[in-house]
Amino acid sequence: MFGIPMILINLVIAAVASIAWVAVNALVLVYCERKFAGHIQRRPGPFEVGPHGVLQPLIDGLKLMSKQLLTPDNSDKVLFWLAPILSMIPVMLLFMPIPYSPLLTGMEVNLGLLLILAFSSFNGLAVILAGWASNNKWGVLGAARAVAQTVAYEIPLLLCVLAISFMTGTLNLSEITAQQAGWIIDWNVFKQPLAFIIFIVAMFGETNRAPFDLAEAESELTAGFHTEYSSMGFGLFFMAEYGYMVAMCSICAVLFLGGFHGPIPGIEGWWWMLLKTYALLFLMIWARWTYPRVRFDQLLNLNWKWLLPLATFNLLATALLMKL
Amino acid sequence: MSAYQNLEQMTGDFYTQKFEAAKQDGTLIINMGPQHPSTHGVLRIVIEVDGEYIVRAEPVLGYLHRMHEKMGETQTWGAFIPNMGRVDYGHPMAWNWSYVGAVEKLMGIEVPERAEYLRVIMTELNRITSHLLWWGAYILDLGAFTPIMYAFDDREMLLDILQRPSASRLTYSNFRVGGVQMDLDDKCIEMIKAFIPHFRERLPMYHDLVTENIILRKRIEGVGIIDQDMCRRYGCTGPVLRGAGVAYDVRKDEPYSVYDRFDFDIPTQDSACSAGRYHVRVAEMEQSLRIIEQALEQLPGAEGKHIMDKAPKPAMKPPAGEAYFNTEGGRGKVGIYAVSDGTKVPYRVKLRAPGFSNMNAFAEASTGTILADAVAILGSLDLIIPELDR
Amino acid sequence: MLQALEGITTQCVAKQDKGKTGHEWSVFLAPGQIVKAASKLYEAEYSLEDVLALDFEEGFLVLYHFNRWNIEERVTLRVLVSKDNPTVPSIASIFDGADWHERETRDFHGVNFEDHPNLVPLLMCAEDVDLHPLVKTPKVRKSIKDILDLGEVISCNKEMEELFAEAEAEEASDA
Repeated sequence: MFGIPMILINLVIAAVASIAWVAVNALVLVYCERKFAGHIQRRPGPFEVGPHGVLQPLIDGLKLMSKQLLTPDNSDKVLFWLAPILSMIPVMLLFMPIPYSPLLTGMEVNLGLLLILAFSSFNGLAVILAGWASNNKWGVLGAARAVAQTVAYEIPLLLCVLAISFMTGTLNLSEITAQQAGWIIDWNVFKQPLAFIIFIVAMFGETNRAPFDLAEAESELTAGFHTEYSSMGFGLFFMAEYGYMVAMCSICAVLFLGGFHGPIPGIEGWWWMLLKTYALLFLMIWARWTYPRVRFDQLLNLNWKWLLPLATFNLLATALLMKL
Repeated sequence: MSAYQNLEQMTGDFYTQKFEAAKQDGTLIINMGPQHPSTHGVLRIVIEVDGEYIVRAEPVLGYLHRMHEKMGETQTWGAFIPNMGRVDYGHPMAWNWSYVGAVEKLMGIEVPERAEYLRVIMTELNRITSHLLWWGAYILDLGAFTPIMYAFDDREMLLDILQRPSASRLTYSNFRVGGVQMDLDDKCIEMIKAFIPHFRERLPMYHDLVTENIILRKRIEGVGIIDQDMCRRYGCTGPVLRGAGVAYDVRKDEPYSVYDRFDFDIPTQDSACSAGRYHVRVAEMEQSLRIIEQALEQLPGAEGKHIMDKAPKPAMKPPAGEAYFNTEGGRGKVGIYAVSDGTKVPYRVKLRAPGFSNMNAFAEASTGTILADAVAILGSLDLIIPELDR
Repeated sequence: MLQALEGITTQCVAKQDKGKTGHEWSVFLAPGQIVKAASKLYEAEYSLEDVLALDFEEGFLVLYHFNRWNIEERVTLRVLVSKDNPTVPSIASIFDGADWHERETRDFHGVNFEDHPNLVPLLMCAEDVDLHPLVKTPKVRKSIKDILDLGEVISCNKEMEELFAEAEAEEASDA
């Protein structure tokens, strides 16, 4: 308009929308998780604050913000407070390339998948910083576990994503979505069922969600790497975790479940994307409240002995079939 | 006294310093507890870990020590009964029974038959509440947040039942020397009769949802081997011993009261690991239901009242002597050794807690395992810390 | 049980009334014999229940309770030590469970256990190790014969008989 390139305005709006989306999702997801957990456990969940407890997450957020920011003695103050910020910022960037509808795409990036995979690895760094800078042995143990887990589970994730991009020939998420237009049978999940299953399992491992939540195993490590964080430090980690969950589920919906396309050709829109993302999120919440926690060596065994060979086999099979 | 205060080194207290004296290279020394979500009370374990493998573990007790044995020497015989409710809040009726049983032996009292049946019914119901609490909390430690809610659902029904004859929900002290405090009224017996089929239906559901879950099985199978030789050396009893393959239950091997009139099994497992102990306890709940059923059938035909006529007053004076009485509690063999010198205050009351001996085996059982396994082993021992520390 | 303890010099072996006292056998030993006795009982497949002490005028009586799993039989080993030198050899090398029981006895009564692998306070805190809460004041402390009954004596040496001599006379006069 005034000499400001359109693309810059686009970017700014997309960034702000991203941040808003993460924040809103954190609130909604917290409520969903607590309500869903309550009903699985035969109790009503939050009920008092607002009708059926809908204002609960808002009030909880206010409560978290009003608490005292404590820094433990002998901790590295710079790293201590850098860790939650480092955990939160990349999450917002993750939502830029994801197409929520033909119009609602943050940026059309040709290397969208690469961007996402790169930024999702920041979480590992943030966790190490948090655990180490806390000056707490339990934090260090939690951080060590989290790093090993994140690094391990990125590889099958990467291999599944590679299989999809071999098949579709592009790393651009909008194009991958476009190729799944049509009937429900055109969705990638029917062409790559093994990759879908491996992706779901690796998703649990990447986001530190139960049954793979050893990094923050409350009953073993007294909250692991975020033991020493109070108030908004903890709040940021919390929001970042939910942000990663939503991002991963959105990516799964885009890659495998057809993105914003409906089951029959013609109907498409952002509500389909929302529906699929939230269906996967409910799956994650459901699994958390049902299963006990896997032991750490069993977790890594699952990855290195099962997921990795299966994902490699899937990739090779895809490459072979593409050649033929 | 000051030999135990090492003021030059300011890091860690006496026990940590002593533990660190034998530290190896490349290991980390951490404290599990006394504030820790999975130690079921105020228990502290100093652990030396190499990566995630436990090299050495030493429990440090005493955080909940209230010196009940001294209280036993300053209170009258009858006034000590409520203390028994506080020693083990999981299965306080077994402790009540051991104590009044020891006093009855000293005084040579015979309890009326109806009181015996009432004691059996209430103790077995209490055993089920204890095992439900253990089960919910154990699965919670292992990371599943839901089964504890279901277990407490059933437990609430039982607490309502047990509230009627005892006016308490957790720390029961309704046993008296010569019988029990109150009889079961008709409403209570109806509630028990309604509870039994309800619980029988729930047990298969727990089995399908939780016991057969592959993640749980991988967490507890083969973890924490406490075999028969270890049990003998440490004096382990209860599900720990039965999980190692020995069918030793005080109710069958040293029968007391009217237990010889009931037909029930002693579940055992041969695996000697946490899974074995788990299965033993779950099976025991079913056996307790059987005992309660049979006791309810035989109750109307029992003679006497709920307490003997002219029951001893709280300031009773048993003749001089010693007596030992043990019962089967939810955790193992509860034993009380009472020594009387003929006055209204005991000379010595020794509380033999099963958890104390079971916990002793933890250090040996957990060496070489992973930190997460330590949590699984602790849970499978079913510890109630007030019982360890007394 | 008598075969199990062959070769041990006992001070007194007596059979007790199980219905009245809760155990079958009561064996008085000298401190030097307790380790051998414990190892013989271990080989005879007895299991340790607990270790405790009683405070009498004649000294501390340290009790060891044993039982068997498949046969109903409870045995109590008793060791009388003097107040000036309350030392007993530790049986923790045979029964590992005695480790904690002996530490607790040391905390409560001040009985010293030789060759104990780790004799530090168990239940009392480290600063209160000399408190010994269960040691009685002379006013309430009784004599051993006022409280314990020898039972049906199988074999007894002179000192033990003298220790309990008055009690027998008193019982005869009560009956």
